Amino acid sequence: MPEINRRDFLKLASAGLLTASGLISAAALFRFLSYSTEPATQSEFDLGDASNFPVGSHKVVADIPAVIIHDENGFSAISLICTHLGCTVEQDADGFSCPCHGSKYSSDGKVLQGPAKKSLPTLLTEQNAEGHLILYLD
Amino acid sequence: MNYKLLLLASLILFLSLITAWWITSRVPTPVTLTPSLSGQEEYCITCHADLPEISSSHAVKTFGCVTCHGGERLALDKDLAHSTMRGGKNPSDLTVVEQSCGGENCHSGSALEMQDHYQRVQTSIQSTYAGAIANIRYTFGAQPDLTARQGTYAVKDDVISTDTGLPSLEAFTPASDQNPAIQLFANNCLECHINAKPREGISNNRFTGCSACHSPAPLNSSKNSKDFGGTTQGSQVHTLTTAIPYTQCNTCHNRGNYDLRQMTFIERNNKPADRLHKYYQPIAEFTRCEYTLDCLDCHTRIEAMGDGDIHSNKKEIQYIRCKTCHGTPTELPLTKTLTDPNDIAIRQAFLNPVVDLKVGDTVLVTEQGEPLWNTRALPNGAFQMVGKSSKQVFNFNPVLGSACTQTGTDQSSAYCHKCHSVKR
Amino acid sequence: MRPNFFHHLHPPSIPAAQSRWCYTLGAGGIALFLMFVLGLTGILEVFYYIPTPENAALSVQTISYLVPFGGLIRNLHFWSAQLLLLVSAVHLVRVVFTGSYAPPRRFNYLLGLALFVLAILLDFTGYILRWDQGIQWALVVGTNLLKTLPIIGDTMYTLLMGGTNPGAASLIRFYAWHLFGLSLIAVIFVGWHAFRVRRDGGIALPPPSLRANNLRISRFVLVRREVLAMLFTGAALILISAFLPAPIAAPIKDMTAPAADASAPWFFLWVQQMLKWGDPFLWGIAVPLIILLVLSLIPYILPQPIESELGRWFPKSNRLAQIILGAIALIVIILTLIALITNV
Repeated sequence: MPEINRRDFLKLASAGLLTASGLISAAALFRFLSYSTEPATQSEFDLGDASNFPVGSHKVVADIPAVIIHDENGFSAISLICTHLGCTVEQDADGFSCPCHGSKYSSDGKVLQGPAKKSLPTLLTEQNAEGHLILYLD
Repeated sequence: MNYKLLLLASLILFLSLITAWWITSRVPTPVTLTPSLSGQEEYCITCHADLPEISSSHAVKTFGCVTCHGGERLALDKDLAHSTMRGGKNPSDLTVVEQSCGGENCHSGSALEMQDHYQRVQTSIQSTYAGAIANIRYTFGAQPDLTARQGTYAVKDDVISTDTGLPSLEAFTPASDQNPAIQLFANNCLECHINAKPREGISNNRFTGCSACHSPAPLNSSKNSKDFGGTTQGSQVHTLTTAIPYTQCNTCHNRGNYDLRQMTFIERNNKPADRLHKYYQPIAEFTRCEYTLDCLDCHTRIEAMGDGDIHSNKKEIQYIRCKTCHGTPTELPLTKTLTDPNDIAIRQAFLNPVVDLKVGDTVLVTEQGEPLWNTRALPNGAFQMVGKSSKQVFNFNPVLGSACTQTGTDQSSAYCHKCHSVKR
Repeated sequence: MRPNFFHHLHPPSIPAAQSRWCYTLGAGGIALFLMFVLGLTGILEVFYYIPTPENAALSVQTISYLVPFGGLIRNLHFWSAQLLLLVSAVHLVRVVFTGSYAPPRRFNYLLGLALFVLAILLDFTGYILRWDQGIQWALVVGTNLLKTLPIIGDTMYTLLMGGTNPGAASLIRFYAWHLFGLSLIAVIFVGWHAFRVRRDGGIALPPPSLRANNLRISRFVLVRREVLAMLFTGAALILISAFLPAPIAAPIKDMTAPAADASAPWFFLWVQQMLKWGDPFLWGIAVPLIILLVLSLIPYILPQPIESELGRWFPKSNRLAQIILGAIALIVIILTLIALITNV
């Protein structure tokens, strides 16, 4: 055990306690600032009766935003949030394109070009007991 | 340089931080509830998680707590959280009921939408106590006739729909009536109306306002003896129901007798052991159905809560007779076949599903058109009633075609009681 | 060791007699520390406080009960503020009772008085930001006092309140005053006050030839003493804030509804007591201003303390000033106690 004189020990102990105090304060500050007063954002959407989306339809639902596709395999949904930096993509002749930085996607969401690297994610859909189509964001 | 002092100061600072952290962690973790009706977070259930649902029609995930009770929804300090609660523990007290149970979307509004509960209770004789007040004032010369002029509070009624309805009542001010008997009446006899604080004693225990009837004490409260029905003093009853047992009515009714000479109330002093003896006070005469059924199995919503008019006497509002259910020797009782899925009978049956009522069912109906939703006409000509609170099933035959030798026109209670009263 | 920034803020050495705890009581330094704590805790509260009438009291409840350590931060802010007023008063008493306002320190004394008034106004504006039923009548009375000023009263009221009655505009203006208007002026004056202390020759002491000894302490020792004072004060503040919550009440629902508690904030109870006696302009504005005037004139009108008596408590030469300040302090305390006892 190395020798330490009394003064240095006291200085070390004080520094230790002050550091510990600082760490506790930092932890408390972190928790203080992490609190969110906003309510959780909606993650489930009731899109109304499933008959509003007949076979063969591609319907864009603007407030999610997503496109609902009903083909012979059933219902599917693709998010219209560009995977680059989050702008809402627009429908064009052969798919979707993003007005912010020019990313392009095919009509089933696969990324074709542009700064975006990932395809548009698919979203889960299901029908509830009353025949309504429910969309889930996660 | 005094390093010892520096160490001491650092240590004290560190300990104070630890203490502050510890104190903060002892506060209960906030538990939030966002009722769908208001969309605003409430933290009441952080402390009150074990409170039972008040009723299936007032689910806490729809209403929350604050819509009815008021209070500070974000506060976790008891005094602040409760500081703005309406009516203390009872938001249905008549002084605050309009904001709690009333309101455009709830129990205040038009009769057509069956939403006029607040208006009817405000003017009802059980709230205004106008009959008792008028009788005493007339008897002791403070007013020239029995038409009510005063009630326990001032009330006005702009729409009068019956012959006996009054436009208004003033507040009863005994100080301005000279007769000492009226003063005594005011001191001793005003403990049995909807907004009165009841007398001491577990048999009298009830809340004020809507809860006086709709928050009945549990029937099996084992804490104290419940001679005539009632809860232990001050126990919590977080319940709203339309299935009200006779014991709740008996917190005001069947309590004893007035002595008009001494202007006091003499409480009944028997100690009954069974329903037959608990129900009515010793001097009463009654038939079997009058004690096997609960009060609300016969007495209708208009009788109990009023028809929206201010009346001078309970005789103007009570109209149920034996013949309403049983008919007379010459007539069958009135019935109605339900055709409207929004008929009030079907709505009431939905609230208290002791019967399964559907469009096409035939129920008994009163002379004023109120359906007795817990009854039905049986195919063999008999009738059936299911107790709203007791859930017992009673089958009975109409008087027509029976051995009854009375005329049908005398419907005073003594008349049928002559043969049918119960001996005890 | 090499002196760092904080060491360089201090002179290389000061006479040992100047830095005695029992001489200065550390009051000025502690007041400065409290202002730092107020600034820090105040900024943290800004993250959650919402300055609108509908949301102000609710956001204070959110801070007090829902934000992790929010209650602690709020309590720290509240207790630092009240302690600041007390410590500032102690500092004023110390300055007068040691004759430390003598030339060349007379202007710095006025700066100090200005800071005291700013601290009181900051405490009042902060109190109003709660916007709950506990402050309701203080808001109405305090601002209506402005209307009693002759000629300029109504204009001053509109300038302060942004309207003819307390409302959303008033709240946001009080917020602006509390966070920036008053604070900015206070920061500038504090800097100036500290600068003047150094330029005027440090904490008051007799000239070197009249001193008892020539002992001095280095800037390192001085800074360490200040750190010690801050650690102890900080620990005391944290303990007080952990156990004693800042006052809070139900949100204001209706500006005209009678509130349960019509007491002034504690530092204005003496004024509330005087207002019970009659004309509001006289008792609510004129008398407090006269008291402020008397305090300001102490270094200019009354007999000055003599050089040889500086550096210790109760010099004989400025006895009159001590008596006058003592009397004013006593009267304010007695009025406060009377108000406490007689307020319903």
